[in-house]
Amino acid sequence: MTFLETNGLTKAFGGVRAVDEATVSFQEGRINALIGPNGSGKTTFFNCVTGMIRPDSGTVTYRGRDVTGHAPHRIARAGLGRSFQLCRVFPRMTVLDNVLAGVRSTGLAHRLRGAHNPDDIARARELLARVGIEHLERSEARDISYGQQKLLELAGVLMAEPDTIMLDEPAGGVNPALIGRIATLVRELNAEGRTFVIVEHNMELVMSLSDHVVVFDRGRPIASGAPADVQNDPRVLEAYLGV
Amino acid sequence: MLSASSHGRTPAAIRLVAAVVLLGLVLAFPALAPDPFILSVGVVIASYAALAVAWNFVGGLTGYISLGHAAYSGLGGYGTALLITEAGVNPWVSMVVAALLVGAAAVPIGIASLRVRGASFVIVSIALVLILLLVAQSWAGVTGGSNGLRVPRPFGTDVLRPEQHERFFYLFVALTLVALVLWWLIDRSRLGTGLKAIREDEDKAQALGVPTFAYKLVVFVVSAFFTAMAGGMYALWFGSLDPIFQFSILTGSYLVLMSLLGGVRSLLGPVVGAVIVGYAVEFFKNQYGDTQLHLVALGLLLALVVLFMPDGVIPWLTSQLDRFRPGGTSIREVDAAQLAEERKALEEAKR
Repeated sequence: MTFLETNGLTKAFGGVRAVDEATVSFQEGRINALIGPNGSGKTTFFNCVTGMIRPDSGTVTYRGRDVTGHAPHRIARAGLGRSFQLCRVFPRMTVLDNVLAGVRSTGLAHRLRGAHNPDDIARARELLARVGIEHLERSEARDISYGQQKLLELAGVLMAEPDTIMLDEPAGGVNPALIGRIATLVRELNAEGRTFVIVEHNMELVMSLSDHVVVFDRGRPIASGAPADVQNDPRVLEAYLGV
Repeated sequence: MLSASSHGRTPAAIRLVAAVVLLGLVLAFPALAPDPFILSVGVVIASYAALAVAWNFVGGLTGYISLGHAAYSGLGGYGTALLITEAGVNPWVSMVVAALLVGAAAVPIGIASLRVRGASFVIVSIALVLILLLVAQSWAGVTGGSNGLRVPRPFGTDVLRPEQHERFFYLFVALTLVALVLWWLIDRSRLGTGLKAIREDEDKAQALGVPTFAYKLVVFVVSAFFTAMAGGMYALWFGSLDPIFQFSILTGSYLVLMSLLGGVRSLLGPVVGAVIVGYAVEFFKNQYGDTQLHLVALGLLLALVVLFMPDGVIPWLTSQLDRFRPGGTSIREVDAAQLAEERKALEEAKR
């Protein structure tokens, strides 16, 4: 079932159309990959879908609801979590507080509750254990390594209980062992029912991990399908290699 | 406690004793003050403390630096004065009503100004106070313009100046304490975690589902309310208002300096900053008269703070003390046994 869809999505910066009438659909329960050369508009597309940037035209539909131009927190609450291309954590907060920042709160009374209630802490610790950095919970996020920050970012996203997780270059700047750990986590979370949309340049990872690949070039999709099919598509080869 | 800001490595009992001693010293100040002038300096410092803590609801929790907070203290002052003189309302009721009105006015102001971040927000905050300065100066029929506005004293004529100072000192301390308690409650709540996330990285906070705009607006209004309360109280104490002092960018700058100096991330940072800056301002004025020398000295102080103690005095002192603690490292890891022990304790607490 198509549940995340864009229709004619366009975003221009000055004269550059970073996303150019992109019509794309992602399937529920799959690991979708979004690939393309540098500057092809993948991150801008991500930002338009998650509300970080308001598109100039076109629509974004999530679970049948038009979420075009909605504030990012509303889209996040609708179940669409995301990470950032350059890993972003809250540097002066502890690792545990970074995860607790993702707690879903509704209503004033709920928000005025103590931030460190046992249930939330237990869940945050579970997530930290799941990504393998529970021993660092009291460190400030700025003190841990980049790879650990990537894992922390993922734990924070999971705390917000998303149905769909959009990861922007999860393997960027990460050592091979950690890439393997991230891939395993993505597979496990997908097996539990979470959908993924992943922007990634590591083709080995994309081909081994994803069920469905969308290829972007100059702000619009030029091919989509199973990884093996896309890999041999002449339009993709041209976009990547210029041949 | 688990947050970075409240990493409780000092035993709670010691902190409690320190707080009680500190409060005792503050409350004993009027009795210890050698003369009414020193007592009046104490009132000025206490008013700065109330204003700086009020400022820190926005500055400390969200990282939005407002240089124009004098707008709210000025409005609180004029609101209080006008309610007393024009409507004949009781002075204390006037002060609270004026602060509530300022809080209400802060809603549209916040909706407009909190859309921008960083330097743009600073400029918007300055613009607001300058507009109000011009309005207050020009609208002489209501505000008295540059001739000033006299505010009737709330206590009877039989209460002499020194006693007035003493009463207002306690009132400002009480207001500061109420603001501190509320700041502390917000800081440790989920709302506080969301606000601190905004301070660290607003986009990231939004992506996690934090309704950043609403959160910012809430503390902005709370901040405006307490600032107006302090402004109203100042008007009642000082007895006269002049636009050039009430709507001064300098006041906003003092508040920023105090909070940065003490440490915006710590509960008592703005209070410590208010004591240092307030004392320095009064000292320079007293020593060198009404020159601009105190501004030069404060400018130097700000430069030194930014260069050598960017997090403020309290975090700097804490980090210096930490160096002498055993096993103090930048990475604070917990071993498996410690974790298991803490989890067990938490589970027992839940039962």
